[in-house]
Amino acid sequence: MTDPHVVGAGMIDFGELYEQSFDDLLESAYLSLIENVDKGVDPSDIDAAWYGTIDIANEGSSGSAVAHATGLFETPITRVENACATGSDAFRNAAQAVKAGDAEVALVIGAEKMTDSTEGLIASAALERLWRGRGVTMPAYFGMRATRHLEEYETTREQIAEISVKNHENGTKYPHAHQQFECSVEDVKESPTVSYPLNLYDCCPVTDGASAVLVTSEDRAREFTDDPIRVAGYGLASDTFQRGAPEALTNFPATRQASSQAYERAGLGPEDVDVAEVHDCFSITELITYEDLGFCEEGKGGQFVEEGRPHLDGDKPVNPSGGLLSKGHPIGATGVAQIAEIFEQLRGEAGAVQVDEPEVGLQHNIGIGRNATGAVSCVNVLERP
Amino acid sequence: MSGPRYERTRRQDQHLIGFECQACGWVSFPEEKRTCKRCGDAPAEMTEVQLQERGEIQTFVVQQYLPDDIETPQPVAIVDLPQAGEGEPARAYGLLTETDLEEIDVGTEVVARFRELFSDGERPINSFKFSVPREEKA
Ligand SMILES: [Zn+2]
Repeated sequence: MTDPHVVGAGMIDFGELYEQSFDDLLESAYLSLIENVDKGVDPSDIDAAWYGTIDIANEGSSGSAVAHATGLFETPITRVENACATGSDAFRNAAQAVKAGDAEVALVIGAEKMTDSTEGLIASAALERLWRGRGVTMPAYFGMRATRHLEEYETTREQIAEISVKNHENGTKYPHAHQQFECSVEDVKESPTVSYPLNLYDCCPVTDGASAVLVTSEDRAREFTDDPIRVAGYGLASDTFQRGAPEALTNFPATRQASSQAYERAGLGPEDVDVAEVHDCFSITELITYEDLGFCEEGKGGQFVEEGRPHLDGDKPVNPSGGLLSKGHPIGATGVAQIAEIFEQLRGEAGAVQVDEPEVGLQHNIGIGRNATGAVSCVNVLERP
Repeated sequence: MSGPRYERTRRQDQHLIGFECQACGWVSFPEEKRTCKRCGDAPAEMTEVQLQERGEIQTFVVQQYLPDDIETPQPVAIVDLPQAGEGEPARAYGLLTETDLEEIDVGTEVVARFRELFSDGERPINSFKFSVPREEKA
């Protein structure tokens, strides 16, 4: 057993990349990684790969798509699909294989071609299945938590909106972010209603993107860089509101379970986290996640953001990259990109969004599936060795 | 989309029948299950229970953007349906109908109304939507 280490990361500019095909996205992310490994990496060193995509473009994008994009045809490549936790779970699988000693140099690559989809998530959410949320789209699913959180706690509409304001401000300073504009609490409140209580600026945009990271063993890490980042822990869990737990109406028990697994493996707790990239597909999702990750008490997520604690200059910076709200959410790429961002933060390379000398970083996704009845969360914790 | 998927739970869909785990009390609806989603009992002893037509909104949204064939604004809720006898309620999504948006809140009582939900291309698929009870309307 060895501790897996991240030794390189590649990222492309997220956006509406009409000129790039799905394969182009993968190729670009892979080349960005290859060119960014401090001491270089020979493609022949890569002995396994994990590929995250939900294949929303419906291109039959199995592991061989990565072989086509990279030339790694003889290498085992596994495609991972796990809703919005796809990219982070691909990373978790690679870290496990390296930890077990079965893979020595593992590529993790995530990509999603969102803008080629003619139907998109709205249509797919309207599947005609009885009692499984016909008409429960993604904003509706998360909006239901907002309605109940506003009712049950002292959470205000303005506190929810502030998360979007914060993340858009961060996004203007992050070069790979899709939506580069600032907005005010009033802008969020006055933007068109998508699914009451959520408005347009509470929602992440539709974005193409890809990202890649390289994971290797402790023994080999310094072949690639003098500044590797250790994978300290990871966790994965599912839940559904159908199980009847009251907290599943306001929060995500899957995140609580996944993070407690990750904290336990790492021997760390929420108080140790210096920077986090979390799943803000909608503003309310980030607010709930503060609570589920243990950054604040249950029901206090609104107060947490109002006090400025998750802001870039706060004591618990969350989504310095601009988060999904600003950066975009190309589903398979999202989790891998968040790992790349935490890697940069822990190495002090995050430029205008660098937080103050972080030692521990956390990455989180929460996804939904099974016609909006299931939730799945993946959490990875990284640490300066 | 059509075919056998609507036949599988037809009795439950049309008569509000649930299945209660005898180990932990959790109620499955509408699927008749042999494993428990809460306690993980497997095989679980599941007993058929009748659900009431009166339920309570746990949370809701009002949908503004949906595919063209679905009317908007469309309120959608998570509804608890109590058992006719003792025990826990079942929890499910429910579409609201024949109800003003101002009448809907967390905790609002709603009653199940047998309606056509959509067509499978050949014939109507009937089940329940929910509305605020008429006698409580001003
Ligand atoms: Zn049970």
